[in-house]
Amino acid sequence: MAQPTVAAPDLAARFPEMVTPDTRKGYSGYIVKAEALLDFAKALKEEFGYDYLSSVTGVDYLPQGLMEVVYHAYKITGGPPLVFKVQVPRDNPVVPSVTSIWPGANFQEREAWDLLGIRFEGHPNLKRILLWEGFWGHPLRKDWREPYYEGEHKPFKSRTAGPHFWHEDHNPFGKNVDYPPGFDPYTWEPETADQILYESVIQRTRKPEQEELHSEQVVVNLGPQHPSTHGVFRMIATLDGETVVALEPVMGYLHRNHEKIGERNTWIMNIPYTDRLDYITAMSNNFGYVLAVEKLMGLEPPERAQYLRVIMAELTRIVNHLWAIGFLLNDLGAFFTPALYAIEERELILDVFEAASGSRMMNNYMRFGGVVRDIPEDAWDMLVKLVHDRLPRKIDELDRFLTHNELIKSRTQGVGVLTPEQAIALSTSGPVLRASGVPYDVRRAEPYGIYDRFDFDVAVRYHGDVYDRYLIRLDEARQSLRILQQAVRDIPERGAPILAGKPQYQVRVPAGEAYGRVEGPKGELGFYVVSTGKANPWRYHVRAPSFINLTALEAMSIGNKVADLVVILGSIDIVLGEVDR
Amino acid sequence: MDTTLLLEWTIKAVILIFILLTGFAYLTLMERKVLARIQVRLGPNRAGPYGLLQPVADGIKLLFKESIIPAKADKVIFVLAPLITVIPALVINAVLPWGRTVTVFGRQVSLYVANINVALLYVMAIASIAVYGVTLAGWSSNNKYALLGGLRSAAQMISYELALGLSLLGPVLLAGSLSLVDIVEAQRRMWYIVYQPLAAVIFFITSVAELNRAPFDLPEAEQELTAGYHTEYSGMKFALFYMAEYVKMITVSALFAVLFLGGYLGPFESQYPWLGPIYLVLKILVGLYVLIWLRATLPRFRYDQLMRLGWKVLFPLALLNVVVTAVIVVLMG
Repeated sequence: MAQPTVAAPDLAARFPEMVTPDTRKGYSGYIVKAEALLDFAKALKEEFGYDYLSSVTGVDYLPQGLMEVVYHAYKITGGPPLVFKVQVPRDNPVVPSVTSIWPGANFQEREAWDLLGIRFEGHPNLKRILLWEGFWGHPLRKDWREPYYEGEHKPFKSRTAGPHFWHEDHNPFGKNVDYPPGFDPYTWEPETADQILYESVIQRTRKPEQEELHSEQVVVNLGPQHPSTHGVFRMIATLDGETVVALEPVMGYLHRNHEKIGERNTWIMNIPYTDRLDYITAMSNNFGYVLAVEKLMGLEPPERAQYLRVIMAELTRIVNHLWAIGFLLNDLGAFFTPALYAIEERELILDVFEAASGSRMMNNYMRFGGVVRDIPEDAWDMLVKLVHDRLPRKIDELDRFLTHNELIKSRTQGVGVLTPEQAIALSTSGPVLRASGVPYDVRRAEPYGIYDRFDFDVAVRYHGDVYDRYLIRLDEARQSLRILQQAVRDIPERGAPILAGKPQYQVRVPAGEAYGRVEGPKGELGFYVVSTGKANPWRYHVRAPSFINLTALEAMSIGNKVADLVVILGSIDIVLGEVDR
Repeated sequence: MDTTLLLEWTIKAVILIFILLTGFAYLTLMERKVLARIQVRLGPNRAGPYGLLQPVADGIKLLFKESIIPAKADKVIFVLAPLITVIPALVINAVLPWGRTVTVFGRQVSLYVANINVALLYVMAIASIAVYGVTLAGWSSNNKYALLGGLRSAAQMISYELALGLSLLGPVLLAGSLSLVDIVEAQRRMWYIVYQPLAAVIFFITSVAELNRAPFDLPEAEQELTAGYHTEYSGMKFALFYMAEYVKMITVSALFAVLFLGGYLGPFESQYPWLGPIYLVLKILVGLYVLIWLRATLPRFRYDQLMRLGWKVLFPLALLNVVVTAVIVVLMG
């Protein structure tokens, strides 16, 4: 970008005594005092142009007695992140909320409160987001222990040495679960269930004065058991007639505390575990995670591995977009025909994945410094045919069948509009952001891997409605094909190394922090990892694109019909495995 | 009225109901097979050869399902609603002519249960009753989805009934009779789809809407309302709703054939009256195939778009068609 980037010392000089560079070994960015956070954030956004807050998360530094909140802010015009942190004492962690400056921090701050117990002052709706009301404690704190606690980290001693036993016997059910004081799940019966369930929505939509025509607003609860919320997702919608006036997404029904398990695991154990985040785009999840850890380790994968990674990631994007388009049409009421046509192509791509990695969906294909094995020769021929012939043909076919259908147009054009300003402010990413007219693509904005070598366009559409979110997925699939065709042409000959160094079961990761992000099919997929030099990550955080894109759901939905709600949700394209983690 | 005549009517009615129920069962199989072929799948092929026993298996399964009545439902209406839906669907078929008269055991037997002179009026009247079944089912379930589904279908069916009724007037004006037998006989020279293409299109669209089939299946829009008015129904009561829908599909296809495609008429039908029912069945199959085809390929309308289409497009067009037809009929003398 032509604009002069602000040099590092500027910020520390601009806020003397309040902002200091982070000088810990392996760390970067600034440490901001909590009381100066809002001024600092405002200056960042308004003076220095960091208008896109990508990630907010917390880290529990138990030995130091500190709780740290880590922010990653970007310029929407591209470039590296500006990392800043706020450190507060562990026993009373209170940090001012930045939702007034970057509304996209909403869900992420709620998540940090839920899992780490950091209170964000000034947050409009600070309550648990992934866990339920009857949960006691904040599980990502290092001194919190799960019901069947075995040890701080894997491999667990009890399973590798001595006689084997069931941990349930030492720790029987009923004595190992804590509830908040005064809470008994067996007698707990909310007096007014509607109040507890819908309180926040009802509060916001209560009309100030009595209207002449007394019309009642209905609160409709869609989900978690609902055929088209794409899983166990819940929306509380307040309806005026059939028009949505307020909406609150509720998630966490599939929560398994991915991050806590990730911190118990060794570094390499987490690779197959990332497959389970967004189970449709496993390859891309692998990519993001190994990228973050490679930054810490200072590893550079060999050429052929780089190309294989790009090929797999782009195939994943096509798989995901075909799937998303198919099921968007399903949400529109088309009875499975478009979905099944799209899935037919997906199956062929999964054949290639299976040949390369041994698994169709849970690929576990990438390793620190490369990929686990080379793609077999017959699968390679299949891939070349797919990329040059079948996929372009089939994508054009979908385009021909769907794009100009009158019913689809009338159902999707002008529905669920998200303006570019909203899209940036709400930290959306991926197709949702680009369909709103913001050409931000991590592959271009901050190229990773070998993406700087390929010739492709950042797909962008300008209306920000459901129709554009459908079109942009077709555009992106076509761009992915362009990248694939170049990658298939340029990849080094078979036999070139695919892994830097020797394969190993236990990797050494130097102490420090790293944030690896890729342009996943659903948006910016980031992994924030902190290492203390041990065998396990100290902190393993996933910036899940579908989770953060949901922040924009209410803005998209208000004023639309209830029938469009499902379509709008479908156009964001969420996978609950990633939302709930 | 002698006893044999009464017996003849009873036997005809029983046979008709048997045909309709078998037709319903195998229509579900046909739908699943056709959908599967359109969607690059195989469809049911495990129960019996080509999956021919699938409807039997489905029926047995539904019979043995637990029948659940929600605690807060209005029990009487909840049980009555499926009956109110399914009985009109069956009764309508009484006036459908399957052919002229044939000789069975030396006795002249007409191939319809009743030839009443206000048959079309009867059809419209009975068809309107079905709205009650759907609305009451939605209301008595005491469930928001079901209520929304029920209300939607009430609004939808009533709105589309107007255009439907008007589109029927075209053939009536041409034939000069409300009796379906007269209307069919009047098409000996030319099918009415040629004289009344607009009425045929409107009749088809509105009857798809009356059926609550895709792309007008809003009352049971799975994606929004789970299953609409029959969300809370299970077991045999659910099967009754299902049956009503499919029997109505057959009825609508038959009506379309009778009104616009010459009903039981076809080559050599005048020499061999037994060919009549065969021609009608073939025409019904074509209609059913189109209904299934629509379901496989089209997404759903939104509620406001549906209403706009019904009131602002179909209703005025149908009205115009009636006026133009009437004027032409008068001018031609």
